[in-house]
Amino acid sequence: MPSKEPPRRRVPGPARPTRPRPASAGARPSRPASRPAPRPAAKRPGPRPPARRPRTIRLGSPRPRLRLISLGLTLVMLVFVVRLLQVQAVDASAYAAKADRYRFQDHTLSAERGEITDRNGIALAASVDAYDITADPKLFTPEESKLPDAPEQAAALLAPILDKDPAELAKKLRTPKSRYTLLARKQTPQVWNQIKDLKKVYGEKSRATGGTGVNLLGGVLSEPSTKRVYPNGELAAGILGYVNAEGKGAGGVESMLDPELAGKDGKIRFTESGGRQVPTAGSQGTPAVPGSDIELTIDRDIQWAAQQAITEQVKKSKADRGYVVVQDTRTGEVLAMANAPGFDPNDLSAANAASMGNAALQDAYEPGSTSKVMSMAAVLEEGKATPGTHVTVPNRLHRGDRLFKDDVDHKTWYLTLNGVLAKSSNIGTILATGQLGDTQAESNRVLHSYLRKFGIGSPTGLDFPGETPGILAKPEDWSTSQQYTIPFGQGLSVSAMQAASVYSTIANGGVRVEPTLVRGTKGPDGRFSPAPAPQESRVVSEKTADTLAKMLESVVDDREGTGNRAAIPGYRVAGKTGTANRVDPELGRYKGYTASFAGFAPADNPQVTVYCAIQNPTKGSYFGGQICGPIYKKVMEFALKTLHTAPTGSEPARLPVTFEPTP
Amino acid sequence: MSTAKGPLKGRAARLGRLMPSGPSSAARTPFVLLVFVLLGGGLIALLLLNSALNQGSFKLRELKDRTTELTDEEQALQRDVDDYAAPDALERRARELGMVPGGSPAFLGPDGKVLGDPSVAVAPKPDPTPTPTPSAKAPQTTPPNTGTGQVRTAPPAAPPVSAPATAPTTSGR
Repeated sequence: MPSKEPPRRRVPGPARPTRPRPASAGARPSRPASRPAPRPAAKRPGPRPPARRPRTIRLGSPRPRLRLISLGLTLVMLVFVVRLLQVQAVDASAYAAKADRYRFQDHTLSAERGEITDRNGIALAASVDAYDITADPKLFTPEESKLPDAPEQAAALLAPILDKDPAELAKKLRTPKSRYTLLARKQTPQVWNQIKDLKKVYGEKSRATGGTGVNLLGGVLSEPSTKRVYPNGELAAGILGYVNAEGKGAGGVESMLDPELAGKDGKIRFTESGGRQVPTAGSQGTPAVPGSDIELTIDRDIQWAAQQAITEQVKKSKADRGYVVVQDTRTGEVLAMANAPGFDPNDLSAANAASMGNAALQDAYEPGSTSKVMSMAAVLEEGKATPGTHVTVPNRLHRGDRLFKDDVDHKTWYLTLNGVLAKSSNIGTILATGQLGDTQAESNRVLHSYLRKFGIGSPTGLDFPGETPGILAKPEDWSTSQQYTIPFGQGLSVSAMQAASVYSTIANGGVRVEPTLVRGTKGPDGRFSPAPAPQESRVVSEKTADTLAKMLESVVDDREGTGNRAAIPGYRVAGKTGTANRVDPELGRYKGYTASFAGFAPADNPQVTVYCAIQNPTKGSYFGGQICGPIYKKVMEFALKTLHTAPTGSEPARLPVTFEPTP
Repeated sequence: MSTAKGPLKGRAARLGRLMPSGPSSAARTPFVLLVFVLLGGGLIALLLLNSALNQGSFKLRELKDRTTELTDEEQALQRDVDDYAAPDALERRARELGMVPGGSPAFLGPDGKVLGDPSVAVAPKPDPTPTPTPSAKAPQTTPPNTGTGQVRTAPPAAPPVSAPATAPTTSGR
């Protein structure tokens, strides 16, 4: 090994100058001999005499040093290699991602929210671009703006554009130690353009005069955002609902179908320089998927007529609230669902929280006489009576623990079953439904089964947020008085939609079609997918339904009927009035009334059902026939015109109402 | 040190032998030119490509701005249209033109047969005519001067006057 490394010998060279010292000790002659193999000599000091030791003191042999250094270097290199492997191979993706995070800017591509349209495609809710106007109060301080009253000056300029109080704006601009303040939310692009123009003018002015050199409006900024607009204002607000500040649906259809409407936000990442994309660096991401458009079954014009009529009457009667539901009898589609008072979803700050829901679906109340039609349906379907069956109605009827009476004090009436409905006799209805079973319990069960089949006590199937299923106790749980009041519509609760659906069922030949509010959705690809067909179930036979329709006609067209005010000249109209004792939700006991009217037209070929109810009318009449009848007429006329429904031209049935008692 | 001055030995000598000795036979100028042209051409091409891309990015931005502007305009116009087309606005304008809400619908068949009871549509407020149209009690915003004079009549029961299929129409549609 040593013989193989002759060049290495040069290395210990520098050690030579140190040698003279040991040489002077007298060991010089032996030195050349030891040269060829210095290492073995050093390793084997044994044979050498101890006297030689001082002469062997040198800087040390280079080999161990070299080995140590190369070992150290190897270790360092090894560490480097390991680290390199770790960086380049093991954790490569993590580091690459980290690098990308700094290189690329992520941007969210916000998905456009879908529109909500009526059945003819007229937009009822749409999203538009908007700007939040913000400001940096620091730029309005006297030091920055070089003006003592910059906030006031700026506020005076901005106030007319933003339609705000200048003092309020100035206060916001004076926010101390802040760099952000929100001046106005969701302004139209036009408003922002106006401010931009104004900013430009002031920017030029500050430079031209050379005075301050500071743009007065330089601290006014904007943030792009989107705004949900409801072009028709209060129209159908209860159905449409509203969106919250984050743009998510928070009520009504907006909330019910939020996933469909919202779409899916996209993402894009690209390298950015000065806010501009670097074209050569490439970009990647997923595009935003816009939300689907929802087409409702609502007809805007009928909705308007309904809403106008009910709003006016609620105001006139100083009532708590009112609802109108218009439904297509054959398809179950809801053509209008109006609430009063309503709210303007464009300006929720002004809305009354109590009227922000859709009361026609969310209020449960005792329907009163309009529900007698279900009792009659049960009696007819069970074959216990015919429209001509004689019913002798006494002035008072003692049942259970109570003495029942009709809403007018009368001598003994001699009515047909048809007359019982036309004159809305409670006593007559109790007598008739008593025939449903051999015992009262049996009758209750039969009546209950019919009420359930008509959809009372279960949700309508609209899946509307906050919808009430109504209240209908099991027949075993009916109290003594309840079993006699339920036949005439007290002691059970329904929503306006459920009540309307009952009449649509009769109008549709006894087949109940689940109400629908959504016709379909139009996806981002422009394809329309209709909503699933509503469920249908037969409640009563066609014959029973026809008979009931004729009986309901007597309510409106008979001189003695309670619903004459709903008559539409030229048409055969079926309807039923209702005046119920109302449970005051605050007091928890009966106080005030619920006036209602339900019906459909034309009676012999029904097309439209209109239901109207007014809660707690306090001024003028409170009878359903008096205040809801005219609304029914007005809305029905409008609907018939809008749908181009001609009168059938047939003669009304005119079933007998009374009979001559045989002495 | 001292060996650097002497003749090349060992490995260095072997390496030295690899170096070409003597002048090259190829002409030098064309080659240098070629290299310069390649380098310069590449540089210019890259420059052009880059500026083209950047130009595209400027154009993109410009077009995006224009799109925003047009979208804003479209939305503003749509807002105007919606304001005019809203049922409330339509009703108000119809009343200003002297129209009144029609009563019960009546239809005129192709054979001249009249379905329904045609009646004269009356303005809500003024003199009560016998026609039973109590429905017309909408909010009275019309100035009284339009009065009953501006009545839109339905065809009387018998004569088949030229009239649209729906006789008294509404103001809403």
